[in-house]
Amino acid sequence: MIEAHELTKRYGGKTAVDSISFTIAPGSVTGFLGPNGAGKSTTIRMIMGLDRPTSGSVTVNGKPYGHHRSPLGEVGALLDAQAVHPGRSARSHLRTMAATHNIKASRVSEVIEMTGLAGVASKRVGGFSLGMGQRLGIAAALLGDPRTLILDEPVNGLDPEGVQWVRQLVRGLAAEGRTVFLSSHLMSEMAQTADQLLVIGRGRIIAAGPVQQVIDSVSGGAVRVRSPHAGELAAALAADGVTVTLPESGTLEVSGTTAEHVGDVAFTRGLALHELSPRSATLEEAYMSLTQDAVDYRSHTTTARSRTEKGQNQ
Amino acid sequence: MSTLTADPTATTRAATSPSTAEVNSTLAGIMRGEWIKLLSLRSTWWALTSTAALMTLASLAYAMSLDTMAEDPVTAPGIEQMHGAEIVASGFPFGMLIIAVMGALSITGEYSTGMIRSTFAAVPTRLPVFAAKALTLVVLAAAVALVSVILSYLVTMAQLSQYDLVPALADPGTWRVLGGSVYCLTAAALFSLGLGTLLRSTAATVTVALTVLLLLPGILSFVTLDWVQTIVSYLPLPASSTLLTTGTTDVPGANLSTYTSLVVVAAYAVVPIVTAAVALRRRDA
Repeated sequence: MIEAHELTKRYGGKTAVDSISFTIAPGSVTGFLGPNGAGKSTTIRMIMGLDRPTSGSVTVNGKPYGHHRSPLGEVGALLDAQAVHPGRSARSHLRTMAATHNIKASRVSEVIEMTGLAGVASKRVGGFSLGMGQRLGIAAALLGDPRTLILDEPVNGLDPEGVQWVRQLVRGLAAEGRTVFLSSHLMSEMAQTADQLLVIGRGRIIAAGPVQQVIDSVSGGAVRVRSPHAGELAAALAADGVTVTLPESGTLEVSGTTAEHVGDVAFTRGLALHELSPRSATLEEAYMSLTQDAVDYRSHTTTARSRTEKGQNQ
Repeated sequence: MSTLTADPTATTRAATSPSTAEVNSTLAGIMRGEWIKLLSLRSTWWALTSTAALMTLASLAYAMSLDTMAEDPVTAPGIEQMHGAEIVASGFPFGMLIIAVMGALSITGEYSTGMIRSTFAAVPTRLPVFAAKALTLVVLAAAVALVSVILSYLVTMAQLSQYDLVPALADPGTWRVLGGSVYCLTAAALFSLGLGTLLRSTAATVTVALTVLLLLPGILSFVTLDWVQTIVSYLPLPASSTLLTTGTTDVPGANLSTYTSLVVVAAYAVVPIVTAAVALRRRDA
């Protein structure tokens, strides 16, 4: 269980996280979704007590993270960049963390096995690929057998087999009743892994709830219609709140109404239909629509700005 | 790449079985974690061996130079004024150089690699792990300084005996110089640890630490203003030098009393460490 209450973080004049409140429930996988720079990592660092909130508070399993007697037994975290000294072997890295909590050497070996690092455990981390680094980070997160897992971009750099493994792992952990909080900027990954979504953009929560609900709230659904009388049908459907577009000739995209209504209208006018299919938006579309105003680093904005600057220089 | 093939069934199995380990954060555990941290890095072993090697070789070289001093009628009478322990401890600046770098790296290595976030995730209260780090460093610095002094004593013994300069263990002067050597090297390690915690960058910390510890007295010796020379006498190297001699030393500015020197050297360790501890609690990792 993670509970944030009006959590805010400002760096100088820039607000990275803007008074967000949320509750992450145990027993399910909650996806923390947002574009780069939206405030995901800052939020996670505040949960972990690494960054101090400017205002507001966040607790894990009822207490601020730092107040727990066994922090690694409460929360296991995979932090954004590799938080590992490259000169140490994977096993030594895990041993340094295990020692602080009197975790046995057998558990260190166990997480090494689990994450598939057995063959490279005695190699120095500096030579690891991004994917192996992620596996080591996940091994560190599992070390204390924690009730809550926080994984910042866990599938970054993993091969397809690794992605599949992370998916199974987090599903398994949630099924055991643990709280799993997973950040990503990849919506496709979230669609397959998460039960709940927390969408963040420019430091604010822009949507939260079960995955399908978040998608529906944005799209409202659309109906695809193919008809030889597309023009007539479009005119007949025109009403308040209904949007009709013609992506190609003979095809209509109707939003703001139901497939039943479209079918009824066509029937009463005697217009033949060749296709009538309700289409729910994909998470990707929902995400784009939710975050289009919340992307900090968009390519065309940058070009526009650099053009202005060039203009000023002249 | 079969070694990297994860076994999902292993995960589920191990995660379901309740952890048999007593998972609790304790001070002893945090200390052990810091030990593993220091000793599992090659750079630590390089620092330790080169400290011992350089300090020992420097003292041997100084002892061997007694031969040329003895041949020169100008310097020959000076040999009688010398205390053998000063020759044994003459590799001190080399030890200071490497031990200071080791102290700096013990924390800047964590900040520059991101390891500090793993460290603070495991010990979110921070101060216990900082204290453990300081303590580990003190033990290691004192141990390597002691070993280096003992090695220096042994390798210079044959040469010093020719001039009747082997420092007697019954002589308090011997203990002052050799003990002072260990004391000042340990302080140098803590000075850099504190500085490194405040500055976080390896390059900045090593530059500032070595400038203050070793270079500044030499640079400022050309500025003959009284107040500048007063400052020089309170710098770490001159202050240490008064502890590393039984008589007078030719290190510029070394003119503090023994007790003042002890306090000044301790302050160079304590002030940065306390300041760093305060900053460490407040700042974002």
